[in-house]
Amino acid sequence: MNNLDQLFIVSLSGLAIVIIIGLFLPRQATWLAKLSPLLYVGQLLLLIKMASLVYIDAGSASEIQSSFHLHLLGEPLQWRFDALSWFFAIITVVAALFAALFMSGVWGEDYRKKTSANAYTMLHLGLLLNVNSMLLLLASGDFISLFIGWEFVSWASFFMMVLNPQKVARQAAMKYLMYAMTGAMALLAAMAYIYDISGSLQYDIVRLSMSHLSSEQIIPLVILFVVGFAIKMGVIPFHLWQAVAYAETPAPGAIFMGAISARMGLYAIIVVLFQLISMDNFAYIHIPYTFWNVQSVLAWIGALTTIIPTYIALKQNDARHLLAWHGVGQGGYMLLGLVIADNVGSAGGLLHVFNHATYQAALFMTVAAVMYRTGTSNFDKLGGLVSQMPLTFMVMVFSIIGLAGLPPMNGFVSKWMVYRSLLLDGQPLLFVAAVIGTLGTILSVYKLVHNTFLGQLRVEHQEIKEAPLTMLIPMLLLALIIFVTGVMPGLILDWIVPVQAAIGLPPLDYHLGGIILPTGGLDMIWLTLILFYGFAVGAVIFYLIGGRAKHVHQYDNYAGGHFLTAKVRYHYSHNFYAGLMHLIGGWYRGSFVRLEKAIVSLVSFLSQLAENFYRANQPTMLVVAVVVMAIWGIAVGRFG
Amino acid sequence: MDKLVLLVVLPLLAAFLMPVLARSSQVLARLSGLLVLLISITLVLNVWGEVDKQAISFAIGGYQPPLGVVFYIDQLSLLFALLIPVMVLIFWPWNRPSSIQEYSLMMLLTASASGLMLSGDLFNIYVFYELLAVASYGLVSVQVRQGQHPVVAWVASLRYLLLGSVGSVMMLLGIAIIYLQTGTLNLAQLSLLAPEALNNITGLSAFVLILVGLGVKAELFPVNTWVPEVYAGVSTRLSALMAGLLSKLAVIVIVRLLVLLFPQPEALHLMTVLGMLGVISGELVAWRAKDMTRMLAFSSIGQLGLVFIAFSLPGNIGLLAGFAIALHHLVVKPALFMLAGGWSGRLEKLSGMAQSSPYHVALFVLLAMSLLGVPPLPGFWVKLLLVMNLAVQTDPVYHFALAFMLLATVLEAAYLYRVVMLFYKKENHTHASSQHSLFDWITAIALAAVLLISVVQLPSVERKLVSMAYQSGNRLLYIHTVFANIGTPEARIDRMSPTDQAKQPLVSEPSIKEKAIKEDLVLGSAEQ
Repeated sequence: MNNLDQLFIVSLSGLAIVIIIGLFLPRQATWLAKLSPLLYVGQLLLLIKMASLVYIDAGSASEIQSSFHLHLLGEPLQWRFDALSWFFAIITVVAALFAALFMSGVWGEDYRKKTSANAYTMLHLGLLLNVNSMLLLLASGDFISLFIGWEFVSWASFFMMVLNPQKVARQAAMKYLMYAMTGAMALLAAMAYIYDISGSLQYDIVRLSMSHLSSEQIIPLVILFVVGFAIKMGVIPFHLWQAVAYAETPAPGAIFMGAISARMGLYAIIVVLFQLISMDNFAYIHIPYTFWNVQSVLAWIGALTTIIPTYIALKQNDARHLLAWHGVGQGGYMLLGLVIADNVGSAGGLLHVFNHATYQAALFMTVAAVMYRTGTSNFDKLGGLVSQMPLTFMVMVFSIIGLAGLPPMNGFVSKWMVYRSLLLDGQPLLFVAAVIGTLGTILSVYKLVHNTFLGQLRVEHQEIKEAPLTMLIPMLLLALIIFVTGVMPGLILDWIVPVQAAIGLPPLDYHLGGIILPTGGLDMIWLTLILFYGFAVGAVIFYLIGGRAKHVHQYDNYAGGHFLTAKVRYHYSHNFYAGLMHLIGGWYRGSFVRLEKAIVSLVSFLSQLAENFYRANQPTMLVVAVVVMAIWGIAVGRFG
Repeated sequence: MDKLVLLVVLPLLAAFLMPVLARSSQVLARLSGLLVLLISITLVLNVWGEVDKQAISFAIGGYQPPLGVVFYIDQLSLLFALLIPVMVLIFWPWNRPSSIQEYSLMMLLTASASGLMLSGDLFNIYVFYELLAVASYGLVSVQVRQGQHPVVAWVASLRYLLLGSVGSVMMLLGIAIIYLQTGTLNLAQLSLLAPEALNNITGLSAFVLILVGLGVKAELFPVNTWVPEVYAGVSTRLSALMAGLLSKLAVIVIVRLLVLLFPQPEALHLMTVLGMLGVISGELVAWRAKDMTRMLAFSSIGQLGLVFIAFSLPGNIGLLAGFAIALHHLVVKPALFMLAGGWSGRLEKLSGMAQSSPYHVALFVLLAMSLLGVPPLPGFWVKLLLVMNLAVQTDPVYHFALAFMLLATVLEAAYLYRVVMLFYKKENHTHASSQHSLFDWITAIALAAVLLISVVQLPSVERKLVSMAYQSGNRLLYIHTVFANIGTPEARIDRMSPTDQAKQPLVSEPSIKEKAIKEDLVLGSAEQ
């Protein structure tokens, strides 16, 4: 019974506890809700006990094998943890812990009152199911267990999504299910292909047989795998399902899924493309009839994913949807960084997984807190909340600085590394694409913070207070993490360098404050000091040398050149980037939406055709069938 | 062993005696049917396990084969000999007042189905198949669904009758061709002669005719148009029995003939193609279906298509995959039909059902997941088995079949979960409520329990299926067993005990590759 077994037992017994209490002791459910973070604390402790996977010393093993295994269909099934699994697992469990903390307090009480005790238990169950299935996926040690984990994750996400009974959420969940099933079937097809090639679904054997594959064999294989996994990540062209589905789940679900769920796709891509089929080959595999190779195609997919969903986010008029669309877009940076496959870029991609989880969770929490107080996340109905909820505002500012990738927050470090490796690799076009993505991010996070917190307060919000303490604590903790890991990225790079080793990439040189490169590294500690020094200089100039400052009341400002008295509340938030949209609005063509509709119509058409067959005159059909078969039989006999 | 002939004789006797007996005592007549079923079950259970090592055959009435009538019993036929009375007992029309004629028909169905599974010659197979058909036509016209206008059901059953009789004639024609070619109808002797006599275009056309004939019952693609009408018209218990059991019986007969008589690859190809068309057309139409029973009927067509694809894989592995899918469908589809029994009418009327009957809905979700192949339910393992074995085939037609199957699964998810979403819709004033009879509900739970138990018992289920597949895929064993008593020259066929064969790896072809790669691995590590 090693730590991995214990981890599974703890997470499964958590599930059992919630189910038993939910079914048989509904009165105790409130206590359970209060104590639910402990379930994740237990898992976190076990993960910490397994930390020797990344803090490697002389005696530590590179893999922890679970003692539970099966042998079915002539294939062994096994579960194990390595540095890569550990890295994703700790993000998962910490994200769940924060979501549970957030949920265990006032938010949960409120949710229980608005819905029912049962629905609240279901929410806990959904979170636990998600964590369990993700751990199962991360521990998979062969393709069958990978597929099992993959399906579990898909269905657990679906379960979480349908907890919101509203129509928009249900439609999104159904759409997700279709995408997820398509992905699962693509994965199954890829597994079938692998089995055909190597005669086994065990990683060791597959890895060996992958090394002597021709490019004609490898391209369809990569396509099938990437389709399967990219659907979960919401990579272009499969980005349509994710944002609405994640945004519309109940807040803790959105916090958790926004932080980590979609990254399971990235994990699987890493396992297959890096650990099994070495990424080194991809630069040499040319796509027939084009001047691209597999690596550059993947990189461009990543780059387009940073751009398109981000600019879709810019048009959103609901804070949750805006954030969720960013979640899709940020996945592009991770993929882009990893696909470059050098030491800086891949570390940047992996680091971005962690960073994104922190600020995305914090952002969804701030939005949930605003929703708790105001009842809406619609930009048209918000504004000026900074005077009422200053701490929430501060957390949001920390997080959007991270999301936009500006110093000194953690998002900057990972994005810098991705940019840097693009430049080092000689990919200026990809660099420009990444920067265009970041531009869109900055524009839309400004929209987020402006439309929610800045400007004039609405009349109906005059009485509201700061978010309650149970919400503030996890939010502030996350803000702290965002800042600390921004200043000292070495803390997280400690985990990432062993992961690089585990997936066969060159390791990064780093120190506590940043990374070391022969052509100029990055030291966040110095950078932050200089930044604050600059602020200090600015403050000195402003307060000491500058003239008398006038304190302007929140209602005493206006925008857009309209002449308004201070009595008229005015907040410019609707159709926020009207000027910009005038310029780029024509680019939004909805091509992917139309493609999706076209596929549905095609299926509908085929279905009608098939139905006509079953309505046809049957004996006639029978005669026709026999004649056709007879002709076929004769033809085969004659020429076969 | 000879007692097993009672499996056919007793229900047949009961079928004809029950109406007579009913004149004196209704209760006695009704009880006698159940008694016969229970006796059948005990009979099979008594000899359960005896054929695990060696199949058994016996001649009826002392006339030796190839002239006499032969029963052949191996694990496959014994399993179905058990399943037939069990399923008939489960789907007995408990829930409604039925006439004695209906019971009589059920007994006729039992007798003919058992005969079909046990017979060792083509003539008897034809006779029992016809009997089975007659019994099912009768039942279809009698067991009209509640709320369904009887005329609609009669029209459906008339169509079924037409299609079925045309099919029977074709089958007879096929058998006639075989007889012309070989001069015998005994399966074992036919199997001996088949490599020369039937391995040609004539033999193939005989197979096609028989395939179409049996395909009517087996819901094979072009001759399955009766399925939606009939399943929507008759009581769900009968639909469950027909979709679950009767379709599989016809498939098993086809498979027997395929193994013993028709070694042509074209025969397998034909089955693959028809299976593919069945899968895709069935699932496509199910996607449009407006009520639950129709949806399940089309889904059943799709699943039977999968069964045909699986059985069309060459070798024992095809049998294994086919048995796995067929048995999975045999458990899941009847359970779904049982649930559908209480959910009649348009699908939209079921909106918000989860509020009034959460357990029924939860069971539906479980069964739907298994049907889709969500791990760790058995549906996943059978699909994985099929996928893996389709993939290793060199023939591209199997790769097309794989693609069709995967696409069909997405469609399946779409329509099954559209219903699930409807169930869980929050309705403020819902009128939806389940009208399940207690019997239906218990049946559904029992079948779901079987499903869940098989999850826990996966390795032993797998072992059983493997040994079954190897035994029923052994043509020589069949010949040898039937002719063991007379000592024909062909009896010198070297006999390999089926348990030894079962120890062979599941997939023969890639295992060689695998071995090579494993050796590579060992050598590689040795070098290091």
